Amino acid sequence: MKKYHQYIQLAVLAGIMLVCHACQKGEILNLNTPTDAIVLNPSKADLNNLVSGVESGMRRDAGTYLDDVSIIGREIYRFSNSEPRWVTDMLTSGLDNNTFYLTNPWASRYLVIRQCWLILQGAANCKSITDAERKGYTGFAKTIIGYQLLLNLNLTDVNGVRIPTADPTYIGPVIKDPGQVQDSILKYLADGAADLSGSSVIFSLSTGFTGFKDAAGLTKFNRALAARVDAYRKNWANVLTDLNGSFMDFSGKFSTGVYHFFSTGGGDQVNPNFIALNQTGEVRAVHPSFATDMMAGDDRISKAPLRNATVSQSGLSSNRDLYIWTALDAPISIIRNEELILLYAEAKIQLGLFPDAQVALNTIRTGHNLPPYGGANTTAALLNELLYQRRYSLLGEGHRWIDLRRYGRLGDLPIDRPNDKVWPNFPLPQTEVNI
Amino acid sequence: MLLSRFTFLVLLLVCCIVSYAQQPITGKTQDAANGRPIPGVTIRIPNSTRGTVSDAEGKFSIMTTSSNTTLVFSFTGYKTKTVAVNQSSGPLTISMEEDFAKLDEIVVTGMATTVKRRNLANAVATISSKELTGVAPAQTFDAALSGKVPGALITANSGAPGGGISVKLRGITSIFGNSQPLFIVDGVFFNNSSIPAALNDVTGAATAGNPQNQDNPSSRIADLNPNDIENVEILKGASAAALYGAKAAAGVVIITTKKGKSGRTNISFNQETGLVKARHLMGVRAFTAETAADLAGSASSTDPDVISARAWYKYKFQQAQAAGKIFDYEKEMFGETGLVLNTNISVSGGSDKTTFFVSGNRRKEDGIIKNTGYLNNSIRLNVDHKISDRVSIGVTTNYINSSADRGLTNNDNNGVTYGVALSSTPGWIDIHPNAQGEYPVDSFAASNPLQTRDRAINNETTNRFVGGGNLDAIFQQSKTSTTKVILRGGVDFFNFKTIGLFPRDLQFEKNSQLGHSIQGMSNNLNTNFAGFLVNTFNPNNNLTLSSTLGATYETGYFENITTVATNIITDQSNVDQSANATTRQFRMKYRDNGIFLQEDLTLIDAITLSGGVRFDRSTNNGDYKKYYVFPKAAASWNISKMSFWHSDVIDNLKLRAAYGQSGNVPPYGSKFISLLPSNINSYPGILLDNLRGNPDIKPERQTEMEMGVDFSILKGRISVEASYYNKKIYDLLLRHTLPASNGYVSEWKNSGDLRNRGIELGITAIPVNSPKVKWTTNINWWKNKAVVTKLTIPPFAIGSFGNSLGTFYLEEGQPATQIKGSVGGSLKLLGNAEPDFQTSWFNEVTFLKNFSFRLLLHWKKGGDNINLTQLLTDLGATSADYDDIINGKKAGVYRPSAGDASIWVQDASYIRIREIGLYYNIPLTNVKHIRGIRLGVSANNFFTWTKYKGYDPEVSNFGSNTMSTAQSRGSNGLSTGVDVMPYPASKRASFHLGIDF
Repeated sequence: MKKYHQYIQLAVLAGIMLVCHACQKGEILNLNTPTDAIVLNPSKADLNNLVSGVESGMRRDAGTYLDDVSIIGREIYRFSNSEPRWVTDMLTSGLDNNTFYLTNPWASRYLVIRQCWLILQGAANCKSITDAERKGYTGFAKTIIGYQLLLNLNLTDVNGVRIPTADPTYIGPVIKDPGQVQDSILKYLADGAADLSGSSVIFSLSTGFTGFKDAAGLTKFNRALAARVDAYRKNWANVLTDLNGSFMDFSGKFSTGVYHFFSTGGGDQVNPNFIALNQTGEVRAVHPSFATDMMAGDDRISKAPLRNATVSQSGLSSNRDLYIWTALDAPISIIRNEELILLYAEAKIQLGLFPDAQVALNTIRTGHNLPPYGGANTTAALLNELLYQRRYSLLGEGHRWIDLRRYGRLGDLPIDRPNDKVWPNFPLPQTEVNI
Repeated sequence: MLLSRFTFLVLLLVCCIVSYAQQPITGKTQDAANGRPIPGVTIRIPNSTRGTVSDAEGKFSIMTTSSNTTLVFSFTGYKTKTVAVNQSSGPLTISMEEDFAKLDEIVVTGMATTVKRRNLANAVATISSKELTGVAPAQTFDAALSGKVPGALITANSGAPGGGISVKLRGITSIFGNSQPLFIVDGVFFNNSSIPAALNDVTGAATAGNPQNQDNPSSRIADLNPNDIENVEILKGASAAALYGAKAAAGVVIITTKKGKSGRTNISFNQETGLVKARHLMGVRAFTAETAADLAGSASSTDPDVISARAWYKYKFQQAQAAGKIFDYEKEMFGETGLVLNTNISVSGGSDKTTFFVSGNRRKEDGIIKNTGYLNNSIRLNVDHKISDRVSIGVTTNYINSSADRGLTNNDNNGVTYGVALSSTPGWIDIHPNAQGEYPVDSFAASNPLQTRDRAINNETTNRFVGGGNLDAIFQQSKTSTTKVILRGGVDFFNFKTIGLFPRDLQFEKNSQLGHSIQGMSNNLNTNFAGFLVNTFNPNNNLTLSSTLGATYETGYFENITTVATNIITDQSNVDQSANATTRQFRMKYRDNGIFLQEDLTLIDAITLSGGVRFDRSTNNGDYKKYYVFPKAAASWNISKMSFWHSDVIDNLKLRAAYGQSGNVPPYGSKFISLLPSNINSYPGILLDNLRGNPDIKPERQTEMEMGVDFSILKGRISVEASYYNKKIYDLLLRHTLPASNGYVSEWKNSGDLRNRGIELGITAIPVNSPKVKWTTNINWWKNKAVVTKLTIPPFAIGSFGNSLGTFYLEEGQPATQIKGSVGGSLKLLGNAEPDFQTSWFNEVTFLKNFSFRLLLHWKKGGDNINLTQLLTDLGATSADYDDIINGKKAGVYRPSAGDASIWVQDASYIRIREIGLYYNIPLTNVKHIRGIRLGVSANNFFTWTKYKGYDPEVSNFGSNTMSTAQSRGSNGLSTGVDVMPYPASKRASFHLGIDF
């Protein structure tokens, strides 16, 4: 009997111990997604997936960014039943440093940059690609880093941006001199272009990059971006050099260029800014001044068709819809030929080479059913003409506010309600301030 | 092995007794006050396995081993009585006194041990079935807790059928970890997650201002049938719940369901029939021709389009007015009266060896919005069986089928939810369908809310099985020592299906994605096993030492597959009846285990000392192999039980103190830096998650010190319980923001400390106790202050929608629940979501023998909400007070454009009659098969006094425990009280009929 009880007691204790230990079979790994560990020794497919993620990620909050620039630049109104701040903060009560219109696009651009760093890291670690192929990856990643940084600088301008490095925990200084940031961007673009030359591109890009999918095409895309940055930097001569390496083509289609691809396909994204004509409640309406300031006959009025009823919110009204994206799968431009021709014109004006500038301006004018330029041959007059053409050619594509800011002419923008204001830039996000 | 020999002897003795049965002792138990028989009294002989239960007439019979013995009579709600009896003394009459102060109530303190309330070191709240459902039943179990738990802040997320409640015990216990208590039903860990239905694909709610999911899912605890519950005990903090280890930081709610009693079979039928209505509607703006014209633009505008549009609106308004077609769409939408039909049948009974409880329940309730409602069918079978005097087993099983049609409410960014669409729809346009059933376009909104209501579906269906088993075996027994083995296991499985169906011809679909069919299928399996070895050493009457050694093991596996199909074929809902479909999958898995040891010492029934330690590990921790240690210690001294105590006034006085630690494991996935799917143009892509995982993540650690004094005077007629606690949380799990310029928006990090201090006071009194009238009253008062004592990271905003609309803001040295926002461009303190205090007042009056009146009043003083419902109605120019003048402007114009977030941060105090009911027991004479008939009328949440300008001060756009998936962020522990076009809260009035056979 003695033994019997001992056995039971031992068995129970052993049983309890068994419950504690036998069931614990080891670590549970991430069941849902790959982790950043893949860049330690990636395959080609891993790198390609990262590239597609970058291209896809560039679309994140791209619509919000365009709304930001277009609303403050008085190109459009964004009426929404569910979001008041498009008509309050944006136009009258003040931009906040911790609200989605700033924080979302800001963070998405830096997220894409972080992923570009992963590609740089992964390409360096990948054992199954040639050096030329490696350069294809790094050239693309560096180009995108430059472009993404530019978009954030466009928002905050003199309030500054930080320039990230390979180390995700490093928090660099806020650089408040836009020129200095632009130089960094140009450096990334130049490094990217250098890598791309002589590279071999083995990754796939969407049809948004049609014509620019290989090393030569990506180099042209890279140089086109550099031309924009050099124009913002006022390196006028460099603008022309950059354009030479780009896809600028006076006789080509204005729409030729690189786009964000959208589709309704599974797992893909639809154009976030598409709204059908004559909608109510959620509306992107063109600012009334777009039509009233327009030259007679300008065919670009087609971007702002008349609504069947005026739409109004908070004392603002418009009878025209923004209609530059006409379907859920309509692409959003990143950079296209029409802007390059206008950058050419701008550089030539600034360099005093007016005839060349006029050729470019007239290319735009005649392309839009307008007679050739007949105004004064002065820098001031030609710049007015240039800004007009940029306004109408690039409506809603994220330019007017930035153009007027770099020419110190934000005061030209119309004020609709007594207390409305034109903000010169976004504040630095709260999370960048509180560190 | 002395003990073993003893055991053998006892065993032998028991055998002898069985074979040579002696004279039984018989008798009757009755209430000392009115002489009524008390059925169900447990009668046992101390230090033996002998025991019985009194039958329906209060009669009992028990065999004894010797001619002189002692019997102990105990019954919930009555003082335990010990009687020395002699076999030859003849039938006994045992009069039991009601235990007004509930000192003899048995409370679960350890995982396998109990203690009498008299000796308890913590303030454990106990809710009986009468308090839970006996006054004015709420729709779901979680709602039935409202106002009944001192120390808790219980907030309904919305009025949507099927529940959704946030329960916070003793302040803020976690911000990004689990903030909701652990629910344990008969030993089974009952999953209480809220699984979103992916409505975000239609609403886009989480795409702009706040990435947190805003789908308004129900909480799964709502599946539980409140009528099956016998008793609920709430361990509010680590000092009481430390033995539950790494899951107990937010408290533990221990639910015991009803069990059968041996004796006659009881059949009970209960029917509730009632009506639900919206508690409060906000009202709509009364337009004039001029204000209608203002919707087209300013009167001063010179734009010819504006001028003509103004004239058109004016004309339309006048036309509508002349035709008497000014509608109140708010009333049409939220003004329905719903029917409540709840039926419950239970059968219980059993023999000496086997007892059972079976219940079937059907709860059906319509919502206050057309096409919404809740249906819950459940069956339960609980069986207990004594294999021998030493070994007993019990099994509980519960199958639940529930379905909730929840409508489309809450925030959205596409103008598609009912409230957002209504907020901009003036009453002078007609959005009703025409004779052909075609809905006109709502020319002021992105969707026609009546069309969405009538044609869209948002349904959640749950099929759930919860089962548990336990085995109690006396493993060793002697005169002074008893050792038990307790084994417990449970399984909780549910399948949860969500359907969001938005036909292609809805106003917001037809020019966009051409219909959505969003179908989600989730399976969840939780298992838990535990084994305990409990020894009670009782060398003499003055000393009891009980030791528990235990081990626990829990696993969880969750999987969700959601397919979002768009461009769907007319009238079809299958996801393959579409042009485009996207499928997402999310899985989650954990294994936790713990080992613990507890010692409880009771001296002369007056001093209780208790100590324990628990070791826990979890696969969710960064270091999955590491055991975290959680100690506890408690002491209570019942001074009135000391021999020197002689007071006629104070008949019970106890001092108590308890200390304990517990943890909160990090959420699944917080240790990974993930790359999420992000495809483009059919190329598979992966994109970094903007939430950075942390491989070093570890559990939060909570320490809680609780002290209190309990006393009762006038023979328990007045009893007072007062507690103070200081609860600190270290290594706070934060999903804190990072400077986004490094690429990540936020990061998991143990990065701060939090402190909650609070007071809980409870007074129970019986002011009147005569045979004709008895009035019991209970007042509770509690308050909590939560402060962030340390933050190793910069202060950060954690929602709701950015500074310009008011946001929760974590900052060292400041209240955890503070709300900040921008006023005139600078960030200012605007409020605090934490109430100043809460009070509840429960009354029960029984009179004229058979009437009983019960009332529960709940007062929440202070605590701010962020009211963005008002903002949206202002923006849509439909607020009822739009035309009032503030600072020389129309209120509806002034408020949104003032650049002042303080306007939206509003006091959400309220006084509410939570429950009120009157019941009547029909006196029955000479009726054979029916033993009792009850009739009653009740009203739930019927009367509210508040200045809050929303549908209801209880609201939460972000839910309370919405699950985080790989791609969506769940709820956090702070952001309740954000009000964005919720499903309005409802009130109900019911008629009750109960028959016992």
